[in-house]
Amino acid sequence: MVNPGKRMNILKTLLNLRHGPGAAILPPEISRLHMDFALRWNDGHMGPRKFWKTCLPRLKFWNPAVPMIINRSSNNAGPATLSIYFRQAAAAAAGPTTPAGSAPKVNFITPLAQQPHSSTANECPAPPPEEGERVVTIEMKHQHSDAILQDFLQKTGATVLQPSPDELNEMRQAEDLKDRAAIDRSIMKKYIDDKRAEERLLARAREEAEAIRLANQ
Amino acid sequence: MASTSQFLASLARLSISSAPRPAASSIPRFLAPSRGKGKKEKLKRKRRQQRFKEYKYAVPTGNGEQFSLCDAMRYLRAAEVGRPPSSVTYEVALKVRTIKNGPVIRNRIRFPYPVKNDTRIGVICPEGSNAMHDARTGGAVAFGEQSMFDLIKKNANNLPFNRLICHTDSVSALNKAGLGRVLGPKGLMPSLKTNTITKSVKTMMHEMVGAETYREKIGVIRIPIGNIQFSPKQLSENVKTFIESIKADISRMEDRVDKDIIEVVLTSTNGPGFTLNGGFLPTDEKVDPAHLATAM
Repeated sequence: MVNPGKRMNILKTLLNLRHGPGAAILPPEISRLHMDFALRWNDGHMGPRKFWKTCLPRLKFWNPAVPMIINRSSNNAGPATLSIYFRQAAAAAAGPTTPAGSAPKVNFITPLAQQPHSSTANECPAPPPEEGERVVTIEMKHQHSDAILQDFLQKTGATVLQPSPDELNEMRQAEDLKDRAAIDRSIMKKYIDDKRAEERLLARAREEAEAIRLANQ
Repeated sequence: MASTSQFLASLARLSISSAPRPAASSIPRFLAPSRGKGKKEKLKRKRRQQRFKEYKYAVPTGNGEQFSLCDAMRYLRAAEVGRPPSSVTYEVALKVRTIKNGPVIRNRIRFPYPVKNDTRIGVICPEGSNAMHDARTGGAVAFGEQSMFDLIKKNANNLPFNRLICHTDSVSALNKAGLGRVLGPKGLMPSLKTNTITKSVKTMMHEMVGAETYREKIGVIRIPIGNIQFSPKQLSENVKTFIESIKADISRMEDRVDKDIIEVVLTSTNGPGFTLNGGFLPTDEKVDPAHLATAM
């Protein structure tokens, strides 16, 4: 375990988990997300992969109640789709007082073990919409992750979050720290390189001296 | 190249024929620094030595560095989004203040909510004894005495069990069989130290199913503590049980060595580590603890 001071600098990157592309709050009528793409990136599966790696953690952070399932398979020829499940107006109106609290209700009916879960073996393909649900899909194949995000934000009507001034300040500090680290690293590298060069020089000199001593004998 | 090497050679010769080493200078006694004889200084030195004997640690200061359980879970679930839940666990790293050469904490624990249940137990006991009957009814995958030794020798790399216990009556036979070389590296060799030699096979097996072993390494105890799909309540109970068990272990060792818990860090398979502050509720009131238990 690293000491807390050091670890704190790493935790500064938690800001990265909160703010950046994908930091948005979804409207309450979205019940779940499902992504379906290949394990490897060939044939246009890089975009979805990057969307998962860069944007999805932030979406999950801001919408912890929304299940986000990723089903990957080894079939690169297959489609890459993102399905967004909307609760219909009637179902959404059932719990207007606690819009966020009603979000996972649909999935609490079945026990957790039987619910679809993320998979790397194509075990949980996109389920058909339940009663009172509507599905919107996004074709992600051969798309850049930024394009996918833009499409996603537009289709869901999510509100994008901006970092507060305090957080901006913290982000700047983290950036400064990174720059400072680069400078320090270069200084240290030069020091070590010089030391090694000197050692090499000395070793060679010692060798030569030894050779001359042997020749003189 | 030749010119540089010549130059180097001359340089080397110069440096080799250096001045003779100066004789050991004798400093007059009254000029030498006096040894501190005061009690205070002695105590100080002892404390410094003690500190040197301990593993390094730093106490978290608590200004924004510590998290409540639900906050940590929220971050970790975000970091683990889209991973198959079977391959992701919450883990705990417990930093302990301890000396480097003292006895270490090591024990077994049964969580209220087991992380996973793939314990397969083998039992070494005299053939046809009561213990063998207990092993059979308790669901051991392999049992016996000579038959077990043969089995272990024959397919040492593909053993059907991942825990091995031994009845006290079979200990001498086990030691004679010379299986230490096979079982030792796998950590399966029954011994009193690992608490795997017993008189009552039945209770030991009951204890072992769903139990996790932990031990302190370089002042830290690490253990998987929950599935990523656990609810905050389940996880908090597991953490509580774990810390209580460690505290009991520490108080048991009190007469030999004194140890303290310094910090408890919650992490996950691919996530960052969060020092826990002992609180439970999330700081963001929009997030309900129930939200942190949805399908992953």
